[in-house]
Amino acid sequence: MTVETQTTGTTPLVEMRDIRVSFGGVHAVAGASVDLHEGEIVGLVGGNGAGKTTLMKTLSGAHPADSGEILVRGERTHITNPREAKSYGIETIYQTLALADNLDAPSNVFLGRELTQGVGSLDDSAMEDATRRVMGRLNPNFDNFKAPVVSLSGGQRQSVAIARAVQFNAKIMIMDEPTAALGPAETEQVRQLIRQLKQEGIGIFLISHDIHDVYDLSDRISVMYHGRIVDTVRKEDVDADAVLGMIILGKRPGEATQEELATLH
Amino acid sequence: MANVAGTAPAPGRAETGESRSGLRGLVAATEIDLRLFGMLVALAFILLAFNLLTDGRFFSPGNMVTLTVQAIPVAILATGMVLVIVSRNIDLSVGSVTGLIAMTYAALMTDWLPNALGMGADFPFRWLIALGIGIGLGAAIGAVQGFIIAYVGVPSFVVTLGGLLSIRGAIWYFSNGAAVTGLDPTFRLLGGGGRGSIGEMLTWGIGIVGCVAVVAALWNSRRQRRRFGFPVRPMWAELTLGALGCAAMLGLSWFANGNYLAPALAAEYAQQHGIVEPPGGLKVPAGYPLPIILLIGVTVVMAWIATRRRFGRYVYAYGGNPDAAELAGINTRFTILKTFMLMGVLAALSGAVVAARLNGATLDIGSSYELYVIAAAVVGGTSFAGGIGTIPGAVLGAFVMQALSYGLAFMGVNSPGQNVVAGIVLILAVAFDSWNRRRATS
Amino acid sequence: MVMRKLAALLAVLALTLAACGGDGGAASDEPTAGGPDGTGAATGDCTVAVSWNNFQQPRWAATDQPNIRDVVEAAGGTYIDADANLSNEQQLTDISNLIGQGADVLILLAQDQNAVLPGLQEAKDNGIPVIAYDRLIEDEEVLYITFNNVGVGEAEATAILEAVPEGNYVLIKGDPGDPNASTFLPQGWDNAGLKEKVDAGEITVLNMSGENWPEDAGTYTEAWDTQTAQENMEAIIDAAVADGETIDAILAENDSTALGVVAALEAKNYGFPPLSGQDGDPANLNNVALGKQYVDVWKNSNELGKAAGQAAIQLCEATAMADIAIDVDESVAPLDGNSPTGFETPGGNTVQSIILQPTPITAEDLGQVFEAGWYASKEDICAGVTEDDPGWEPCQ
Repeated sequence: MTVETQTTGTTPLVEMRDIRVSFGGVHAVAGASVDLHEGEIVGLVGGNGAGKTTLMKTLSGAHPADSGEILVRGERTHITNPREAKSYGIETIYQTLALADNLDAPSNVFLGRELTQGVGSLDDSAMEDATRRVMGRLNPNFDNFKAPVVSLSGGQRQSVAIARAVQFNAKIMIMDEPTAALGPAETEQVRQLIRQLKQEGIGIFLISHDIHDVYDLSDRISVMYHGRIVDTVRKEDVDADAVLGMIILGKRPGEATQEELATLH
Repeated sequence: MANVAGTAPAPGRAETGESRSGLRGLVAATEIDLRLFGMLVALAFILLAFNLLTDGRFFSPGNMVTLTVQAIPVAILATGMVLVIVSRNIDLSVGSVTGLIAMTYAALMTDWLPNALGMGADFPFRWLIALGIGIGLGAAIGAVQGFIIAYVGVPSFVVTLGGLLSIRGAIWYFSNGAAVTGLDPTFRLLGGGGRGSIGEMLTWGIGIVGCVAVVAALWNSRRQRRRFGFPVRPMWAELTLGALGCAAMLGLSWFANGNYLAPALAAEYAQQHGIVEPPGGLKVPAGYPLPIILLIGVTVVMAWIATRRRFGRYVYAYGGNPDAAELAGINTRFTILKTFMLMGVLAALSGAVVAARLNGATLDIGSSYELYVIAAAVVGGTSFAGGIGTIPGAVLGAFVMQALSYGLAFMGVNSPGQNVVAGIVLILAVAFDSWNRRRATS
Repeated sequence: MVMRKLAALLAVLALTLAACGGDGGAASDEPTAGGPDGTGAATGDCTVAVSWNNFQQPRWAATDQPNIRDVVEAAGGTYIDADANLSNEQQLTDISNLIGQGADVLILLAQDQNAVLPGLQEAKDNGIPVIAYDRLIEDEEVLYITFNNVGVGEAEATAILEAVPEGNYVLIKGDPGDPNASTFLPQGWDNAGLKEKVDAGEITVLNMSGENWPEDAGTYTEAWDTQTAQENMEAIIDAAVADGETIDAILAENDSTALGVVAALEAKNYGFPPLSGQDGDPANLNNVALGKQYVDVWKNSNELGKAAGQAAIQLCEATAMADIAIDVDESVAPLDGNSPTGFETPGGNTVQSIILQPTPITAEDLGQVFEAGWYASKEDICAGVTEDDPGWEPCQ
């Protein structure tokens, strides 16, 4: 069974309608539609090249869509660059984290949005203070605010990237493979964080290869295949195998033939 | 202050609460930049070595002033090259642009201003007009190159190589290759020398200003930390640093005042002030030459831009991770364009010092400068990987390289020998830096 | 269809080559039209080619080139040239191209006397006579037309030694790879008596880099660069002051280095001990007038160009080398007469040569320069001269 929206009547936080993106002749995203509500986590899954990252890039401003609409809180938007996305409260944690390795944590958190004092000079102390506070919520044991982030551990770098999103009151977060490079303890840390953010009413698009992660955290799951959304399902309504089937075959459970299903096992 | 990686990452640095014993702890408590300090030590070592090799004749105030003034054209350019290399670019045209603008100054003051614009030799501030035109020209050339690099997307190596060749060729057309001499006397003061030095009183004044600046910086840094309750340096460390800084500033002034006017100028001075010259001549301290004041100003401004302005932060961010800078919404293309414009302005300042020293310009001014400037930046800790390098380091790097060539010339070693030594030092400095970085991050 | 187009293309190509072939391409081994044993010469169809090594230096465009060209064209000939921009490889290419363009005579300013030999051979193979211009090429078939480089050194040192017979000297030499700097000019200095005086203890050279004479005597200046000379001289002045020695005279081999020396002296407010130079550059002649440089050995290269042009035309007309006669101003006239004479080269060859005499110019001699139509104008040379300066009188 499939559902298009979780709750009828409430305006979705984000609505992406019929998004299309092509590179040369290749249709990376061929008419995908997803939506997201407050306090909801939507998992976005699919095989390599399914178009998940590209779809999210249209929302984050990293690569604008060729056509289609994006509505934020019902309002039509025209997001062409990262700054515009951020102005709508959309913050992104990229797979590569997008941190400047040679700069320290506060500089990275405030990159592009630095605090200034006096004649427009950088107010590093204020930025450090703000970073300490936000990191305190996310990763209380972290105390290395002066070192270039290249010398931090994977999990610490991840928390700096998340801190950046949190600092600027993100209402909508896109997380691309947040736990891919982390060990078990750090993965759990990040998961706690994600749950915490959900509690605060933030809507999260979560891209992940890890089915179990997605299952554990998401409320709904959108599956992509060759640039299209195969289906968007509630977690309660499907099991992991069905989702896997959609990822690999690109078809809804009811549509796949017996032989095709057999190939999965 | 934010710790931008001008230094190698130092995982052992003392953070809150952690105390390390002994000398390491003391040094850590002062939080001085070890790499920069290391370079100062290296420079001191080189000067000491030359002094020993020449039986103490080398290290005198007059000689050190000569050495410093010789280093200034390259040092000024090196401050800008740091930002260019940090942002993963290169500017090979700096030598040619410096030469072009030097020739422009010469042509302006000997020909164009008097002949085409009717501004004769006693036109007020003619030297300033020439300087202004030179700076404008430098900014324009930088803007053109920067535009092609940042907005059209041609690699900086290619664009500035083209600039190096075409601009050097263009210089020939000014005078069919002949040297052009005869600048305004006021302009020539920018070259230093006895007349272009600020004298005893002002030199002490600079020393006092420097001391006050050090103390103010320490106090301000403490105040900033207090604002948010950050840990501050122990008081003894602050006092020690303040005392050392003041001593250094005043000591340099005292040393510079040991540089006396040449006998002819001293006689002139004595005459002007109605002093009777004692036998052996009057010892009139010349103090800091004007080019040194210019260098101090350029270094302070460039370091401030690099560490305290958004533009500087964006340069380093782009160098560290160009994608991250883009995704952060930084206008990276405009940032890159500005680094090249800045380079052009610095070339105009460097060219002014060179032309003033030569009282004119020749076809070859600035040839090979790009190599010395890049060497200075690299010896000073700038990395070609991008994202790493400091302004003071590059200035020190320029001094280290010039100390070597001046010392060798002082000892009578010919230029091929000087080049051999310079090349070896460059390799050693970079090798040491790489080894140090690897050791720190492993 | 494709074959037809290909055939048409080939036909056009063949016709074009045939049309061009008559001129004798560079690869051809036949003597080109107008060679010494060919026709054309007597009708004035003489192509004189010049291979410059560094046309960027002001002198060539200002004096040598116009004079060579004027003499050649007045005799009804054609002038062509190419510039090697200091590159040996480029010069060899230039020579090939000039031969290909139909050169009858080649005037060759060698960037490097050894590296140019293949080019020389190519000219010989094509029956083209070669004039070695200003720089020696060790080959007994060339005609060497130059100023007396040793004589230049001699003139420099004679003037300075006369002004300062005893005392401390500083020697500033040019590029260490240039035989003029390392061999000919220092030889001239010694001919004027420098080594004798040093050995006798009357003169001390302050900037010796070792014991050997003349290799370690003085400081070389890479690429004859002015700024390098300035920095080296500043260090030398500092060393002298530190030793408590005064600098009484400075022998600089040429004007570009002398300019750097003057800048160093001014920066140090050292005053202006007698200083030598050569080339007659405008800025330096101005310094002579201002009293900052004592002597500038001027080579009136207008006359050198004329001599080369005349010799080239005569070679075109198949005149035997011994019968060539040039007509130049008496101020530069060769000591051995106006026809080529044998010259013993350092390499032990005897080369037919026309060697013009340089003219040392001190402040009082500046009038000669004004009258000769030099590219440095009287205005340039007299800029800023006041009545206290040695050049005041001639500048009136």
